[in-house]
Amino acid sequence: MTTSTKRIAINLGGGYVPGLNAVITGVVLAANELGWEVVGIRDGFDGLLAPERYPDGGLLQLTPQVVENLSAGGSAILGNATRTDPFRVRQVNAENQVEEVDRSGDLIAKINAEKIDAVISVVGPRALSILFKLHRQGLRTVCVPTSVENDVAATQLSFGFNSALSFAVDMLERVRQAAQSAQKIGVVEVLGEHAGWLALQAGMAVCADAVLIPEIPYDLQKVAAKLREKINAGRTSGLVVVAEGALPRDGQHPQTEAVAPESLKASLSPGATGQGGSHVIEGSGRAAQAVALQLQRLTDQVTYPLVLGPLVRGGPPTAVDRQLGLGYGAGAVRAVNENQTGVMVAFQPPELKFVPLAEAINKVRTVPANSVFVQIARSLGIALGD
Amino acid sequence: MERTPLTRSALKGIVLNIQHFSTHDGPGIRTTVFLKGCSLRCKWCSNPESIHPKPELAYNLGKCIGKDQCGFCLKECPESAIFTVDSDVKVRINWDLCTNCGKCVPVCPPQALYLFGQAMTVDEVLDEVEQDSAFYRESGGGITLSGGECLLQADFAAGLLAGAHERGINTAIETAFNVPWSHVEKVLPHVDVVLHDHKLTVPERHKKWTGVDNKRILENIKRAYETFADKTFVARTPLIPGVNDDEEHIRAVLAFIKPYKNVVDYELLPYMRFGESKYGFLGKVYEMQDFNPPSPELLARLRAIIDEAFGRSGNRTQM
Repeated sequence: MTTSTKRIAINLGGGYVPGLNAVITGVVLAANELGWEVVGIRDGFDGLLAPERYPDGGLLQLTPQVVENLSAGGSAILGNATRTDPFRVRQVNAENQVEEVDRSGDLIAKINAEKIDAVISVVGPRALSILFKLHRQGLRTVCVPTSVENDVAATQLSFGFNSALSFAVDMLERVRQAAQSAQKIGVVEVLGEHAGWLALQAGMAVCADAVLIPEIPYDLQKVAAKLREKINAGRTSGLVVVAEGALPRDGQHPQTEAVAPESLKASLSPGATGQGGSHVIEGSGRAAQAVALQLQRLTDQVTYPLVLGPLVRGGPPTAVDRQLGLGYGAGAVRAVNENQTGVMVAFQPPELKFVPLAEAINKVRTVPANSVFVQIARSLGIALGD
Repeated sequence: MERTPLTRSALKGIVLNIQHFSTHDGPGIRTTVFLKGCSLRCKWCSNPESIHPKPELAYNLGKCIGKDQCGFCLKECPESAIFTVDSDVKVRINWDLCTNCGKCVPVCPPQALYLFGQAMTVDEVLDEVEQDSAFYRESGGGITLSGGECLLQADFAAGLLAGAHERGINTAIETAFNVPWSHVEKVLPHVDVVLHDHKLTVPERHKKWTGVDNKRILENIKRAYETFADKTFVARTPLIPGVNDDEEHIRAVLAFIKPYKNVVDYELLPYMRFGESKYGFLGKVYEMQDFNPPSPELLARLRAIIDEAFGRSGNRTQM
């Protein structure tokens, strides 16, 4: 193999995000232009770590002919490992005990044995750290950021976010219509543990009555006051958007159900019943449930909680995510060609840049207090709970 | 080799927690000692902090007082695994970089950062357990070893239970029996009451939900029933919605245990969602968060089947 001809691999380290196939297509076409070979690793790194699981082989040859037939909204070609972590591979040992073992060294040896020059990994914020650790161990890696919450710090726009946003807007419009007919206040929970971009931008787009995001601790009295104004003026319905990580101002996690005291493990398990004001996302729907209950109490208007949650992760990509996906894929190949590894491709308009992974991890892209979206929301009269 | 009390008392194990005044883990009022480490990965696990065999970091964000007033952990962490986000003063943990070294724990004044699990000697544990001996005498209680899987730390568990017997304390264990038989053989002679799980009866389904099939578990259980005929066994099923909350499973377990007279009862433990916040503390994701506990009606119906099999009147289950 000459130095100019490379064999590169691509893998997906997160669940489905609209636009994944565009990234794969971008990588394959850009690599083909350079005369490189591209293989896909199935299910994160499982295709290499557990090839026996795949009758057709753990690696998939990706040629322009293969990607030509990839549908934009499809997802299954490389599998959808929810999380890829070669440092904690679960296995059953000779003693029949389930354990997690570090197979990172093994993985890098296999990548070298396959003569793979570099791996392009399409990953969310958490898996970035895993790729950073692999890079420290010698893996030549280029990461492409995916996040439907757009919370990867080093890039302005992760691919997948725009599709999630468009779908959320569509759903919120439907909820508003349903709320109007039912004369209720719809409280819709969307993804967003640390960052409220999805709630804020979607809520703004549909002129919701209120948007509650993790960055702005909320006071429901203020939201209720705003809703009451509208109710007093004759409006009979409302729309409130809540990010799942939004918290009330006093910092207490909304508690919607008491833990049954008679339960067996409750009395035994340390810390099991002590909520302790911890910032823990307790299953989808709890944030909406808590806000809806409290608002009903404060407004004397019937509310109903709805959860968009993981629905926004599905579906076809928007035009923006198709372009972004192709751009990220091609950009990742350019990074390999320029011998830049241990980097993440970042969209910093108008350019695609390469950011060292060390700078990309341990950061969350949150909504700044003076964000233009916050300003616009305030001028539109959208209550932010502060 | 039989350990003498002297060498035994200094034996160390990794203890997760010592819980006083337990009323659900065997007869009477008991002190439950949770040992760390488990050989199964049940998707519904309510004690995720007990799974890893070594001490591991946990973080309760609610207790953090923030980088402005404190921030010592940010400087202390050698792995750069602690960081902050712009919108909040409280720190966050990068669980993928954290190595559980525990250096951040002593510098955290509000104890938002803490370690689940610590090394303790047999005597240290028993001295604490013995404090409640008056309650054990009154109620017929004692010590219960739980986990995790307490039989994984077989030498330590045997030491604890033998030591408890010497101090006149009744002993019980909670186990899933997914350990080599040598571990069972070492510990069971020192146990009065064996509370053990029958999670799923079909091997493939057992593998799907817990990580391994139940072949060895069932072999161990059967062999334990036969080898330790003088011990009291109580079978148990953690009742998980959509997994094993059906008559078929209950009847299969009853068929398995009924030939053995030393299996005195079969208990159903209704699934609860306690584990959830702890998963968050450990940076893990709880997969079964969207299920509700079994209904009282279902529980009553399944318990009636058990009562009938044990020849009880079944009054307690009449709705």
